[in-house]
Amino acid sequence: MKVGVEIGGTFTDLVCIDETGVRLTKVPSTPREPDRGVFDAIAAAGIPLDGMADLAHGSTVATNAVLERKGSRLALLTTEGFRDVLQLRRQDREQLFDIFYRKPDPLVPRYDTLEVPERTVSDGGIARDLDMAVFGPVLARFLDEGQHGAVAICLLNSFANPAHERAIADWLAEHRPGLPVTCSVDVTREFREYERTSTATLAAYVQPVLDAYLRRIEARLAEGGFAGRFSMMQSNGGRVPAAAIRRNAVTALLSGPAAGVTGAIRQAALSGHRDIITLDIGGTSADVCLVQDGRPELTREARVDTLPVLMPMVDITTIGAGGGSLVWVDDGGLLRVGPRSAGADPGPACYGRGGTQPTLTDAHVICGRLPSDAKLAGALPLDAGAARKAYEPLAAELGMSVETLADSAIQIAVANIVSAIRLVSTSRGRDPRDYALVPFGGAGPLHAAAVAEALAIDTVVVPPNAGVISAYGLLAADYSLYDSLTRRTALDVGAPEAVRATLEEMLSGLHRRADAISLGADRHPEAVLEMRYVGQAFEIPVPLDLGGLATLTTEALLDAFAAEHRRIYRLGAVGQVRPVEIVSYRVGLHVPHGTVPSLAEIAGPPLTVPETAATIFDGGRDRPARRMARAAIGADPVAGPLALQDLTAMVYVPEGWTAATDPSGNLILRRGA
Amino acid sequence: MTLNPVDQAVISQALLSAAREMGIKLYRSAYSPIVRDGKDASTGILDAEGNAVAQSDELIPMLVGSLSITFRSCAALYPVHTLKEGDFYICNHPYHGAHHLQDILIFVPIFHDGAIVGFSAAVAHHLDVGGGAPGLNSSATDFYQEGLVIPPSKYNLTTDWNDEGPLRRFIGANIRVPEQTLGDIDSQFAACAVGAARVTEMCDKYSASTVREAMAEMIAYTERRVRAAIAAIPDGTYTAEDAVDDDGLTDKPLPVRVTLTVKGDDLHVDFAGTAPQVKTHMNAPFASTVSAVLACVKAVLTGGDVPFNEGASRAVTISAPKGSLLNPNPPAPVRARMEASFRAYDVVLKALGQANPDHAVAPGYDCTTGFCLSHLKDGRYRVFIELRDGGYGASPRNDGCDAVAGPLSNCTNTPVEQIDADYDFFRIEAYALRPGSGGAGQHRGGLGSVRAYRILEEGVRLAIYADRFRIPAPGMAGGGPGAVGSCIIHRGNETIAVRSKDDVALRKGDLILLSSGGGGGYGDPALRDAADAARDRQLGLLAAD
Repeated sequence: MKVGVEIGGTFTDLVCIDETGVRLTKVPSTPREPDRGVFDAIAAAGIPLDGMADLAHGSTVATNAVLERKGSRLALLTTEGFRDVLQLRRQDREQLFDIFYRKPDPLVPRYDTLEVPERTVSDGGIARDLDMAVFGPVLARFLDEGQHGAVAICLLNSFANPAHERAIADWLAEHRPGLPVTCSVDVTREFREYERTSTATLAAYVQPVLDAYLRRIEARLAEGGFAGRFSMMQSNGGRVPAAAIRRNAVTALLSGPAAGVTGAIRQAALSGHRDIITLDIGGTSADVCLVQDGRPELTREARVDTLPVLMPMVDITTIGAGGGSLVWVDDGGLLRVGPRSAGADPGPACYGRGGTQPTLTDAHVICGRLPSDAKLAGALPLDAGAARKAYEPLAAELGMSVETLADSAIQIAVANIVSAIRLVSTSRGRDPRDYALVPFGGAGPLHAAAVAEALAIDTVVVPPNAGVISAYGLLAADYSLYDSLTRRTALDVGAPEAVRATLEEMLSGLHRRADAISLGADRHPEAVLEMRYVGQAFEIPVPLDLGGLATLTTEALLDAFAAEHRRIYRLGAVGQVRPVEIVSYRVGLHVPHGTVPSLAEIAGPPLTVPETAATIFDGGRDRPARRMARAAIGADPVAGPLALQDLTAMVYVPEGWTAATDPSGNLILRRGA
Repeated sequence: MTLNPVDQAVISQALLSAAREMGIKLYRSAYSPIVRDGKDASTGILDAEGNAVAQSDELIPMLVGSLSITFRSCAALYPVHTLKEGDFYICNHPYHGAHHLQDILIFVPIFHDGAIVGFSAAVAHHLDVGGGAPGLNSSATDFYQEGLVIPPSKYNLTTDWNDEGPLRRFIGANIRVPEQTLGDIDSQFAACAVGAARVTEMCDKYSASTVREAMAEMIAYTERRVRAAIAAIPDGTYTAEDAVDDDGLTDKPLPVRVTLTVKGDDLHVDFAGTAPQVKTHMNAPFASTVSAVLACVKAVLTGGDVPFNEGASRAVTISAPKGSLLNPNPPAPVRARMEASFRAYDVVLKALGQANPDHAVAPGYDCTTGFCLSHLKDGRYRVFIELRDGGYGASPRNDGCDAVAGPLSNCTNTPVEQIDADYDFFRIEAYALRPGSGGAGQHRGGLGSVRAYRILEEGVRLAIYADRFRIPAPGMAGGGPGAVGSCIIHRGNETIAVRSKDDVALRKGDLILLSSGGGGGYGDPALRDAADAARDRQLGLLAAD
């Protein structure tokens, strides 16, 4: 039996897969003791601990430790002259027009930072030797005074030569055994000292918290006779055995949204769609991610509480457009939706929990897309009267009907989401028309067709039971390990040999790590070269086909770079002879572990609701529509407008679109069919 | 007939989104670190008459609201109705709306069914546009010495630019790093193409006349919101004064004076009393003055939520005496126009603070501190330029922010590890906060920082333009001034003070300490909260006793 448990802000979701199919369980989260929520969910599902072969877990415990600054007191060691690296940051500011701007507090205050008398330069040479006989006593005094719970070491250019970081770590192992020490090179070997220092301190800060959390879970699992594999989700969309994430805790940051994307990728792949844009619309926000050939785009510019993390992370863009987003008119008379939100409490007016302001969810109720008797995920019936009442004052102010205003709000929310997808696509050099849209989350399938329409996307793939796709994603995820290294390589005649040597060294390192945690032999390596024209201020990622590594040529490397450059910039600076260099190398190793069934194979009967006629207000007028259970849609396309319901979400199929269920259980919406 | 609210909202959103998308396109593909990391660029959509409708709001504030000025210079010579598909306007002339020659502006007409519905525009700061010295010619006595001048002109992409067209070759032949500059102009064209594609899609969906109507309403909308913010502050006249240290030739301060007149929902900003223009490149052309004022109005009165366009210029009128530091006559050089622009920003900030005490903020260090090291080796120039930080002014709410880019820019610093890899003729040996450099007060000013550069080769030159080396950021409401900045060369036992505008030959082994200053404090220092003072002491942020 395989079990995935995902802890969210409000609910903890469990997905269980065994011979009988897929089962879902939802219990309230326990934010004070998140590990208890895991066992509550397992108990609620009636699963014996010794019956699980595989337990995959996604948790916000690492992220929360940073957000709430709950970690232990950390010491940071920097190269002499650079004590203020975390305070100075990159000198720019997040808000351009804020006259009261303040920088967020760094993880390590100035007095907990100690300078190390040493200097390593970019080629790994040593400009100033480190003498531990001199520095050791200084360090000892510093740690005695500070009583720090952990130490992070990040020295300039350590990725080119880690000798000084290692010398300090060795000294600490001898003189302060048991004190957790994090060397930046063990976390990331990429250049740019502020970002690497930030990453190293985050890793050192989170590691003891995650370690204690996992120890509590493992102890309870052991008591219950659990003998299976226990793994954790990472922010890169893959998982690793719990033992491995302890050594690189920073990969657990922001893993929640990544699990949803992974679930969507797996479920869409069952229908043959590997180039997708995922759209997760929840209560307060919409999350968008581009997926290329079944792998999510990864970002190197991720931030946790504005602190940069140099780790490959699933590249998710968040916009303030969710079910709870408020509809309002600003003081220039422009109609707006979000980013302010009614949140979970009181939530939309139609929830009947005291909300009185108009929200996007209320708009769907008013327009008839969300029937007031829909009981989504065990929620209460929706109060259509309260929704209308929330809209009335604004509708009167604007001199329009409640329906027209609600319909307008939906169109504006769609426009906001469309803008975000355009910006994400452009910054990655992609065209949305080449993708299928995969909506999930409570409100994703309600908006998806309109979003697709505006982007000229002609296929929408709605996964079944889209409300629990994150927990499903945990079980669907590969084991994934990543490594990166800044090592400048000129694209001259010696380049193929240098690239081969570096990649082989890095990949064998990943294989050793995989061996150490007993991963299977079915291993899929990948490599990306970060390349640029010499003098260009940033790099572009160029995927490399590892199959051709043995016969790699300089020309092939140049061609691959030129192709990516042209794809991203079209007009920009192409076709001129200009030296090219590799700046950094990235490798990944993915180890799948068996197949998972479709989310459609839920044990037990599907939701049935009788088909009824409904009126849906869309595009300024009433349209006669049909409302029915999603399960009633078969393989033959049915023309919209339709309002379809399953256990966790509503799907809206507008006029001009059709819906059909394919063999994998996905609902396929097509435009103009 | 007016548009329905939803079409208006959706088209407005789409136009802003198009301007942002253009900005992303431009800075992601730029070679110049000034564009890529400093975001010293701007993109926007203009209507068919050249009024700015939507401007990317994620690039630097310094280019707010000045696109239309250059456009009008171009359109006066080459009327809009004469343009064909493929034509574009180009200009970097500081006396025709550009800020300085490094900023090249491009305007591309957007055609729909054969008629022009608007323009997409992109401006970027280029690393080198020729002129008397690589990167920075601080000894220029007129703007001709500052680089290649492109007057307001009309060219065609197909016949003049693409495939090694004559304009491309002409510009390339006049500059030192043609690959980078031409590549960045290509990126500007790519950005304009994205904007044009988006507007064309909108016209297909809504009709060109609807889009034009929505553009007009967007300008009116911004005007309404800016006017609403002006109406909320009391009518009256508010004055303020500050000064640029000097012109680099003498020690004479250059006062910048402003009189704000608020009357109902009109705001007039006048710089009468400001110093006359100077012989060196410290002059700010009028377009820079306009941007500095609008950026300050946006920061203090409306916040980031109001998208600035031509509507803001209708509500806020600006004048500066001809022949003054803030509105010079040609051919005065203007390369270092940021210092005077920052002073214009600071005096408007101070005057608006009197009118609107809830948003009173003391001026910050607010300098550009352009620092350039160059080295000629084996016939090839290596040029390193970076723009530094400074402390922000304190407010009734909180201490000023420590060591950040000036409010009109948002340049990042260059990572030390990147410098180590790219430059072999110097090395950074330290980069630290300057304890005690913020102005004292109930809330203290933000701190400046110090960066130490060790010179590793003979034949390196230093060029600098900076300010507030002599006249500090003033405090407000009883707060003290911030520390001044400085640049000092340590050569053996000798120390050499570098002026704020200077050009110096360096020697191998020299150590340069470049310090930025602090922001002004707010309120009586005696009223400082004991806990705030204790925290500063614990963090080691107070001056050494």
